[in-house]
Amino acid sequence: MLREFSYAIAAIGLAVSAQAHANENLLELQENPEYWSTQLGNYQGNRFSKLDQINRDNVDELSAQWQFSTGVLRGHEGGPLYVGDGKLYIHTPFPNKVFALDLEDNGRVVWSYEPDQDSRVIPVMCCDTVNRGLAYADGRLFIGQADNTLVALDSEDGEVLWEAENGDHTKGESNTMSPLVVGDKVIMGISGGEFGVRGHLTAYNVETGEREWRAYSNGPDEDVKLDPEETLMMGEPVGEEDLGETTWPDEEWERGGGAPWGWVTYDPELDLIYYGTGNPGTWNPDQRTVDGEPADNKWAITVFARDPDTGEAKWVYQKVPFDEWDYDGVNENQLIDVEIDGEQRKGLAIIDRTGFGFLLDRENGELLVAEKFAEETNWADSYDMETGRPNVNEEYSTWRQGVDVNTTDICPTAMGAKNMQPSAYSPETGLIYAGINRICMDYEPYEVDYTAGQPYVGATLNMKPAPLQDENGMEGRMGSFIAWDPVKGEKVWEVDERFAVWSGALATAGDLAFYGTLEGHLKAVDIETGEELWSFKTPSGIIGNVNTFQHEGKQYIAVLSGVGGWAGIGLAAGLEDPEEGLGAVGAFSALEDYTELGGVLTVFTLPDA
Amino acid sequence: MFSTKASLTKMRGAGYSGVRWLVWSFVFTGLMFAASSVVAGEDDDDITDYTVEDGKVDQATFDGYEAYTRVCQSCHGPDGLGSSFAPSLMDISQSRTLGEFAATVANGQEIQPGQVMPSFADDEYVMNNVNNIYRYLTARAEGDLGRGRPDVIGEEQGDDKNKEEEESDNGSEE
Repeated sequence: MLREFSYAIAAIGLAVSAQAHANENLLELQENPEYWSTQLGNYQGNRFSKLDQINRDNVDELSAQWQFSTGVLRGHEGGPLYVGDGKLYIHTPFPNKVFALDLEDNGRVVWSYEPDQDSRVIPVMCCDTVNRGLAYADGRLFIGQADNTLVALDSEDGEVLWEAENGDHTKGESNTMSPLVVGDKVIMGISGGEFGVRGHLTAYNVETGEREWRAYSNGPDEDVKLDPEETLMMGEPVGEEDLGETTWPDEEWERGGGAPWGWVTYDPELDLIYYGTGNPGTWNPDQRTVDGEPADNKWAITVFARDPDTGEAKWVYQKVPFDEWDYDGVNENQLIDVEIDGEQRKGLAIIDRTGFGFLLDRENGELLVAEKFAEETNWADSYDMETGRPNVNEEYSTWRQGVDVNTTDICPTAMGAKNMQPSAYSPETGLIYAGINRICMDYEPYEVDYTAGQPYVGATLNMKPAPLQDENGMEGRMGSFIAWDPVKGEKVWEVDERFAVWSGALATAGDLAFYGTLEGHLKAVDIETGEELWSFKTPSGIIGNVNTFQHEGKQYIAVLSGVGGWAGIGLAAGLEDPEEGLGAVGAFSALEDYTELGGVLTVFTLPDA
Repeated sequence: MFSTKASLTKMRGAGYSGVRWLVWSFVFTGLMFAASSVVAGEDDDDITDYTVEDGKVDQATFDGYEAYTRVCQSCHGPDGLGSSFAPSLMDISQSRTLGEFAATVANGQEIQPGQVMPSFADDEYVMNNVNNIYRYLTARAEGDLGRGRPDVIGEEQGDDKNKEEEESDNGSEE
């Protein structure tokens, strides 16, 4: 009762403070704890639910109510949306089917949609034909199809309302990300960082699909929509002009990557969208030097804060200048309000590819915290808090070691200490919950030529489980689920998993955190301790996100299983035992011993009282 | 984990390339059997008769490893073992002759809608290394070569940075 009352207050407070720029319908839906209306649960990307019907005391009774096979075999990322109309909306990897399923009739198909797509896009999808899901606003569903078509569907019947072309697969562009609706715009990025694309983020009119603006990740300021006098970097104006051009050799910025293929978050009060850009073009750093010296390759691996109406950059923060490891900077930017040294700050927290947990000021992009959440991280020792740049460990600098030299035992791997799997944040505990990867690599750069539509990588990788940092860890583990204090920059607890934890996390007011494993277990843990309280084996490995919602007084948990993605490609056969040559007994498991392909939605509830 | 089309300047063992181009011109015209016989004419043993000594391999097998890792691994998984995206190639010496293997690489394959292997016919690096890739995969499939990056017989083990330090670190910790 008290809890409901406080929600009402919170909702009123939000409604008053929110500006007209937010999508009113979507904001309203987000404020209702019964709904799950965006892939990340809210604009802030918190993946937190105020629902507590399913809680620490009764979660052991949680049961699968029904399952639905999507009929698609590839890796299933993203998750179901629920907006209060009795239907669950789900999507699939290529061919990007969309289903509306009746919650009151065990998932009966109300309507389905399957586009006729050009399958020639598949060879330019680097890491499986995944898709991170639907967006919803005002009776419309949006999906970015693999073949670069952005589609708006009528949520009543699945009819196509409009289509827009967002990219060109013959140039290596494809789509995997979930769009985000902000105001009257649908925001959409691009994939293709392994094909030398020039990354861009684009806004389309929500009603018509007309293109409103496009901001590139590299090239002249005009294209980047950056004003060196106005746009901030570490709290000060950028100053120099056209850094997106001058920090590259020759015309290399034209194939400079920086593909934003991850998640977009939004602050309705500041009216700013936030997203990260991917790796800079080729993985061979030697081809990105200027006069033989490392160059920043701006604005790859950069957090952008932009005005959603115009696309203008308010601030930038480059997490990794001159990338030498493919630390693709697309991880979600969680918007959280924190207290630092007695002062309230509008924070932006990242569980990053690099193994560092960042906290930035989301008003001006100033770096506040940068600490390792994965202890094995060794490519950099720390971050310089004045300049915001990493203190790179030369031993693991693949550029210093050189082209055609195999630099060994770099942590984390190019997969990142965390990849696309979105984390959760509980405002009640002040902690972030994230599935992470404990994998290291050998990295050998080599010279590569650019051909449009062909891979433009230029490095070979060998992956291996990360060495254990203490004797309490699980032998041979390749992943963990962690609770992270974003202000202190400290890990609070961690649970080891056999494989990388590649599913999106969920935190709830029921004192629970949820995540899925690559073997296919959906798990609920005590949010305070990480103690496992419940688990269920779904039919295939989970790389989707765990979502929750309430319908007719019942709280549900729902998740797509269906192994695949980069995790499936890299780990299916297991990893080489790094100790093998030293005589130790290997315990490094192969994913194929645990799971097979196949997309299935599983919906859970508590039994009727 | 990634692969790519590499520049020709980085190719090793270029001495075979003339013969290989001849082979490819046959494959391109679809004369697979003819192609196989040309390969055999070159001496089939040269193509598939890999050498593995104490986990080290001959140069052509190493080149095959390298080409596999650059190009094929991103779908077929590390060390030819397969992935959730594309099948294991560990039965390659049983399932395909060199000519058949080369034809699949050149032509690509659509196994079912949504499951597509691209054509590598225009990729000179791959086409020049098809024999080496087959040779490497055969060594793997026959169980004679383990996982990971092999060293080349007679070459110094000097390329791997950090390995020595790693080993001495382990020693001092224990």
